[in-house]
Amino acid sequence: MNEWRSRARVALALVGAVIAAPVQAEEPKHGGVLRIYHRDSPASASILEESTFSTNIPFMSVYNNLVLYDQHKPQNSIDTIVPELAESWSLSDDKTTLTFKLRSGVKWHDGKPFTAADVECTFDLLMGKSKDKLRKNPRETWYNNVTDVTTNGGNEATFHLKRPQPSFIALLASGYSPIYPCHVSARDMRVKPIGTGPFKFVEFKQNESIKLARNPDYWKKGLPHLDGIEFTIIPNRSTAILAFIAGKFDMTFPTEVTIPLLKDIKSQAPDAICQVHPINVSTNLIVNRDVAPFDNADLRLAMAYALDRKSFIDILAEGQGDIGASMLPPPEGVWGMPPDLLAKLPGYGPDVKANRAKAREIMEKLGYGPQKRLPLKVSTRNIATYRDPAVILIDQLKDIYIDAELEPVETSVWHAKASRKDYIIGLNLTGNAVDDPDQNFYENYACGSERNFTGYCNKELDALFDKQSQETDVEARKKLVWDIEKKLVEDVARPIIMHPRQATCWRPNVKNYTVTVNSSYNNYRFEDIWLDK
Amino acid sequence: MAISEPGAEVAEPFAVELKRAGLGATGLRGGIGHFVRRHPLGAAGTIIMGVFVLGALLADLITIYDPLQTDSALSLAPPNAAHWMGADFMGRDIYSRIVYGARISLAVGIGSTLLGCIFGAAIGLSSGYLGGWVDLIAQRVIDILQALPLLVLALVMAAALGPSLRNTIIAIAIPLIPSVARVIRSNTLALRELPFVEAARAIGMSEFRIAVRHVLPNTLAPVIVLATAQLGAAILTEASLSFLGLGIPEPYPSWGRMLSESAAEYVRTAPWLVIFPGAAISLTVFGTNLLGDALRDILDPRQRS
Amino acid sequence: MASYLTRRLMLMAVTLFGISVIIFFLLRVVPGNIVDILFDSAGMVNPAEKVKIERELGLDKSIPVQYLAWIGGIAQGDLGYSYVSEKPAIDEIAPRIPVTAKLAAMALIFSIALGIPLGVISAVKQNSGADYALRVLSLAGLSMPAFWLGLLILMVFVARFGTIPIYTEPAKNLWDELLLYSVPAIAVGFRSSALIMRLTRSSMLEVLRQDYIRTARAKGASAQAVNYDHALRNALLPVVTIVGIEAAFLIGGLIVTETVFNIPGVARFLVEAIRTRDYPIVQNLVMFIAIVVVAVNFLVDLTYAALDPRIKYAE
Repeated sequence: MNEWRSRARVALALVGAVIAAPVQAEEPKHGGVLRIYHRDSPASASILEESTFSTNIPFMSVYNNLVLYDQHKPQNSIDTIVPELAESWSLSDDKTTLTFKLRSGVKWHDGKPFTAADVECTFDLLMGKSKDKLRKNPRETWYNNVTDVTTNGGNEATFHLKRPQPSFIALLASGYSPIYPCHVSARDMRVKPIGTGPFKFVEFKQNESIKLARNPDYWKKGLPHLDGIEFTIIPNRSTAILAFIAGKFDMTFPTEVTIPLLKDIKSQAPDAICQVHPINVSTNLIVNRDVAPFDNADLRLAMAYALDRKSFIDILAEGQGDIGASMLPPPEGVWGMPPDLLAKLPGYGPDVKANRAKAREIMEKLGYGPQKRLPLKVSTRNIATYRDPAVILIDQLKDIYIDAELEPVETSVWHAKASRKDYIIGLNLTGNAVDDPDQNFYENYACGSERNFTGYCNKELDALFDKQSQETDVEARKKLVWDIEKKLVEDVARPIIMHPRQATCWRPNVKNYTVTVNSSYNNYRFEDIWLDK
Repeated sequence: MAISEPGAEVAEPFAVELKRAGLGATGLRGGIGHFVRRHPLGAAGTIIMGVFVLGALLADLITIYDPLQTDSALSLAPPNAAHWMGADFMGRDIYSRIVYGARISLAVGIGSTLLGCIFGAAIGLSSGYLGGWVDLIAQRVIDILQALPLLVLALVMAAALGPSLRNTIIAIAIPLIPSVARVIRSNTLALRELPFVEAARAIGMSEFRIAVRHVLPNTLAPVIVLATAQLGAAILTEASLSFLGLGIPEPYPSWGRMLSESAAEYVRTAPWLVIFPGAAISLTVFGTNLLGDALRDILDPRQRS
Repeated sequence: MASYLTRRLMLMAVTLFGISVIIFFLLRVVPGNIVDILFDSAGMVNPAEKVKIERELGLDKSIPVQYLAWIGGIAQGDLGYSYVSEKPAIDEIAPRIPVTAKLAAMALIFSIALGIPLGVISAVKQNSGADYALRVLSLAGLSMPAFWLGLLILMVFVARFGTIPIYTEPAKNLWDELLLYSVPAIAVGFRSSALIMRLTRSSMLEVLRQDYIRTARAKGASAQAVNYDHALRNALLPVVTIVGIEAAFLIGGLIVTETVFNIPGVARFLVEAIRTRDYPIVQNLVMFIAIVVVAVNFLVDLTYAALDPRIKYAE
């Protein structure tokens, strides 16, 4: 308990320091190309079709949103949303009609004017209403509550909602919600995207590089400061870090520096500015509750009690991680449960020995013991960030009479395997693009959601999801959210192991970049970053 | 019999070879002394290989810690009295992992080399000696295997079969086949034309007998050189596969896996993670090669003067 | 000779056909396809959409039909489209070939230039101090994983020179290019050079014991003439073979080295394409590599025959 408090305090101090950091008083300089390494080759340039920040980071600056999280406020929340292509917005009295007044004089990179029709096209595409189809549409659930989007002249677009959803605008402010042009096909957007953003797409060579150049006609006068941005794709992490240390790059791939690598950077390149922050990607377990042995609720509970979360964090991130339920824990997270409530949940108590004893007790009741151990397989992707926690999990389960074996699965097969539920336990990572309960609950826990891998379905909780979603009072909504969290944990829906922290580093000559502490998906517009050369 | 046959000078029975090398019936103690004096590097190789094999066999007896046991308190612990070689980032004892890892390296190295040599020798000998349509087919098989790059084949196989010890052995053995087969075939081709083989044929020896008695022993020397190099190369290939995220799956302590991607990240902050498994690999490969060289000197009669 | 060549060329065609069949079917036996990967990156799947994409890509057709479509395409110079980038496969493959070719050539030159002379010295001075030192050194070369060597080199560079010899952008002139590829080429070629040295040495020794060398000696030829004129020429035979074999082996070294040094060549691209089940890339690239390897081996065999008069072309 004490330790949690102190860690929370340290974290709070960190946020405080960031918020208090003086806004750059220096006069921005123009020119220069920002060089960043990229961790892998993104599947395409079409942000709407992908669900990894491997696409958002290099391509977000090609586009604009209607609204966006303030790029210089570390914590994303409803209060930090600022206008972008929309000059202003208003909500009708019944809270179901959201109207955006659009900026005029904005041009697409190919010279065509931006109008309200483009907004309509974009959301028709996302809701599957248009003739042209997205090849993949991972965030269709975000728009479940939208009946349609209409226009009124060239400068006004209106979203009609089925029911009030105060945080709907939070989804629109994410890096995942760029506006696409009507006149470019979905296929072309994957290969050669056209946006209204501060940078124009130049080229994307698979496994090699991504190049963007300054958009001279950007609607924000005087921006961007940079002449361009170049991403060099270096999948090997040690090579990438060495290259950053050697000065080949101005910035690491955001969120990609692990704690041990951070030490290396600090000792080798002491002038680099590094910031450790939560990435809002949780390490969790998917449990197949349809087949033996985990169709048994008691066994699920035993596993929940067996998890030593602190040990995971200490081993995997040298203590740089947070224990929480599915929402990112405070202070960085807006909606996470406070530590004292959290500690009361099964398996979250600080006394690991007592928890394990309880787990063994349940196991013994179920007929297991030192002589009769339960064999099972832990499936996960054959990638270090998935494999490593799985190895620790297997080791921890040994304590409660479970002999688990690791089944590493090729990335190409993992998804198919997970969606046909061909696993007993799977170790999984889940990224939350927006620190908002709507996004998390509807995507990962609601009945019938396509990203709800486990097929977990609880009608009672579904009703609660809707209830919290309509609650306008933040404190009241938090209470509802914590209630949901508690039920999810008790039901062992998807045990959350940890919320890891990682670091982003940049050279001192990179100015005006602000790290977001509760999302890894939203702060890459890069329009007012500048280089002090 | 050996004296009356042409070519006996080349194809002596193994016993005679070993005796000359000092490993035969002249008494074990004297033999060893002779071997050490004549082949000091070979003796060193034998000792290295002996330690390696014994370590693999007696792993349970010479380690205290479970190689799979994680411990957050020991994460990245430097070498100390309790953990001679330190601990990896999951707090697993590196010494124990290396000792247990010897088993896997031994299995991969010997398994794939044997498999590769047996198939390679069979194909090479029949192809080179029999010629004709056998050669034609064998050569096509060799050509096909050879033109498919090793790691590519291994990658596709690993993807198809899933990473496991058996599949790693098969994946590493297949690319060995053509190199062994080619060396044996080219030697056989040259030997086939030599007078002693023609003479053997003239006195009515069967083709099979000529091939096995006269041709095969004469191709042994290059195969042993190749096979010992490959024994080490097999261990190295496993390391490369692991580096690319294939090979033997976690949590089994394979040396290659210990050196893989995630370990390489700690190379400066915790060099023991990389130094010890690397040293284990290099030393073992070194040992196989020293031994192979010595065996080659012993087994190739034309080298003695 | 002419009939031998014709026969060889026909056999090469057969080999390539065999490879094309094997790689094509092997790839399709592997579980998971591009659609799984696409959906995986999106973290969801809609079965109807999956079927739709499979149909678009022709993955719903039977395997033999797909095979014929591929071969038919090649015959018309159409390699298909990359599933991932949706660009013509040729545009993805072609620019990456020279990168790897340069690296491989430099590695091969390095390994021959280092391996053969050292092997000869070692054999001629058998059992001398230099011989022992070289043998131990070559063994050390064979004992090091290529990627490990590469990582060590990178670290030394960063620590000593504060720079790093990895690829971040194309070289501007020939000198830069040589500089860019020389370090990775050494990392790739080191193992081959050790192997070539050992082989040169052992086959040199073998030849030095042959009757005709003894005869040459007996006839009073100078030691130098025997060593270099007679022995080396014959000793190069197995070395030539191993150079041929190493050409294919080199690809393996290239894959890890391109990964460590971040070189955008075909070797690393191939691994990525296998991971993403980008069939048009993998098939065509493997065929390209096969053609190169087959051609190299053909040249090796010709050299072999030229060097060894005992080998007959045809019977």
